[in-house]
This record gives sequence, C-alpha cells and structure tokens, in this order.
Amino acid sequence: MAKLSTEMVHVLGNYGHIGFTFVAAIFVGLGGGIYLDEKFFDGKTSPWFTLIGLAIGIAAGFKSLFDILRTQAAKPDDKDSEG
Amino acid sequence: MEHPILFISIILEKLGLPIPHGPVGNTFLEKLCEPYMTYTWFVMIFLVVVGKLTLSNVEMIPGKGQNFWELIIGGMNDFFCENMGKELTEKLFPMIATFALYIAVANIIGLIPGFMSPTSSINTTLALTVIVWFTHHVIGFRAHGIGYIKHFLGPIPILIPLMLPIELVSNIARLLSLSIRLFGNIMAKETLLGILFLLAGGFFAPLPIMMLGVLVSLVQAMVFVLLTVVYFSQANEHAH
Repeated sequence: MAKLSTEMVHVLGNYGHIGFTFVAAIFVGLGGGIYLDEKFFDGKTSPWFTLIGLAIGIAAGFKSLFDILRTQAAKPDDKDSEG
Repeated sequence: MEHPILFISIILEKLGLPIPHGPVGNTFLEKLCEPYMTYTWFVMIFLVVVGKLTLSNVEMIPGKGQNFWELIIGGMNDFFCENMGKELTEKLFPMIATFALYIAVANIIGLIPGFMSPTSSINTTLALTVIVWFTHHVIGFRAHGIGYIKHFLGPIPILIPLMLPIELVSNIARLLSLSIRLFGNIMAKETLLGILFLLAGGFFAPLPIMMLGVLVSLVQAMVFVLLTVVYFSQANEHAH
C-alpha cells in the first residue's frame, strides 16, 4: 500500500502536468497571434496572425509533450548505465 | 468567493488595520493586509520558528526534530543531485528547497479551518514562477554564454524559421503553465472546501475533499519542484 501510493505520487508528479503544459502552449500561441492582429496591425490582417499563432501554439504544445516524454524515457536508461 | 473565517484578518481588523473586503485592496496598507499576504508571512514565520526550535542545537546523534529535517533535506538533496547534477545542486539547493518547503506548507495550511493557502492567489504563484523562469535563463547564459541561443534554434539550420517561434512559445508557456497549475489546483481545493462546508458542513461533507486535498497539496508542491529542477537541468545541458 505504501509502495503503491508513493508510486502513484511519482506518476502523478511526472505525468500529471502534461495536460496543463499542452493547453498553456496553445493559449500563449493563440494570445500572441490575437495580439499581433488586433493591437500591432490594428485588425488589418485580421484572421491570419491568429491562425498562424494558433498553429504555432499547437506545434509548441506537441513539442513540449515530446520533451516531457523524452526526459521521462531518458531517466531509466541513465540509471541502467550507471548501475 | 469570501472566505468564511480567517483569524489573522480578524486579529488585524481588531488592531485597527484596514482589511480589504474585495480580492484586491486600494491603498498600500490595504494591499499589505490582504489575506494571502498575511498568510504568506504566517507560513514564513512558521518555517523559521520551527526550524529554530528543532535545529537550535545540532548534535552528532540526532534527536527527534533533527532526524525529521535530516530525512527531508537529505531526501531532497539526493533527488536534486540525481536530476540536475552535483554542481547545480550545490549552487541552487537553498532556493529550490525553500520553494519546496514553502509551497508544501502553504498548500497544506489551507486544510485547517481559519487558515487559507497563500498559493490560492495567482500573485503568489506567479511571483514564484517568475523567479524560477528568470533563474533558468540566467543558468543557461552562464553555462553557455551567447551559445545558449542554440537551445531555441532546433536541430537543423534549415528549420530555424519554423523552430524558433515554436521554441519561444513553448518557453513562454512554461511561465503560464507553472503558475496557473499551482494556482488552479489550490484555488479549486479551497473553493470546493468552502462551498461544501457552507452546504453540508454538519454532515462532514468536506471530509473526502480534505483527504484529496492532502494528496493534491503534496503532489502540486512536488510537481513545481520537479519542473523547476527539470528546467534548470535542461538550461544547463548542451543543446540537443
């Protein structure tokens, strides 16, 4: 029971933040795109920078997802090579 | 949402200090007396006093209090060494360990009636996150000089126009996700506890949420520290 709960805390700590990281990247991309459209170009370029920003944000979300998976996958290998 | 009873606010009000009734005060003194500020001071005083009481005389054969701290500090030291190497740990251990203790205590304190979690305010979590974010860039620039920019350029030179915005966005997203994750989880716990207490406090309705709250508090403190360590070690290592 104690082992199970420590393992659960570890798994939650390692993977529980994936959803939020993904969403935050999309929102930053989308927010940047909307800012460029509305404030920087005064709405002349209206949907384009929003869409580009959204695309970049989604790409950044997937990139951070792969980063998380890579750092987590790299850990056991390090331990094996040491021990 | 109004907190039911916050005893520090009541004491300060009795002393004649202005307590803001909305979420944000108007004058400087009101801003200083906001509940998350006063409870931040409370957590800091708690940690300092407990540390002083248990570690006032450090001995070769540790007593109860010293044993407790040796377990916690030793465990954190091993964890940091494993994840970001000895050098960085020696430099940054005080900062990250303080963050860990502060966030854990600040999260859990909200479960006691009459207290609130300072981390259930976005100001507290954003302040912590901004410190971590700037520190990881400072570490990167100190480790690699101007070559730190390579971290943001991706693996192949042709892909730079594509990878640069993606890397920048995902880096700025760290600022957002790290702060809002901690804030959102703790605020949700606090609000849920408050609502359940008002609805059916007599039937122990908040009890299951309190048990989940202990888990959430510890896991969120651990997530914050783990991500801090990961960001620091990523900034320190060579670009992939």
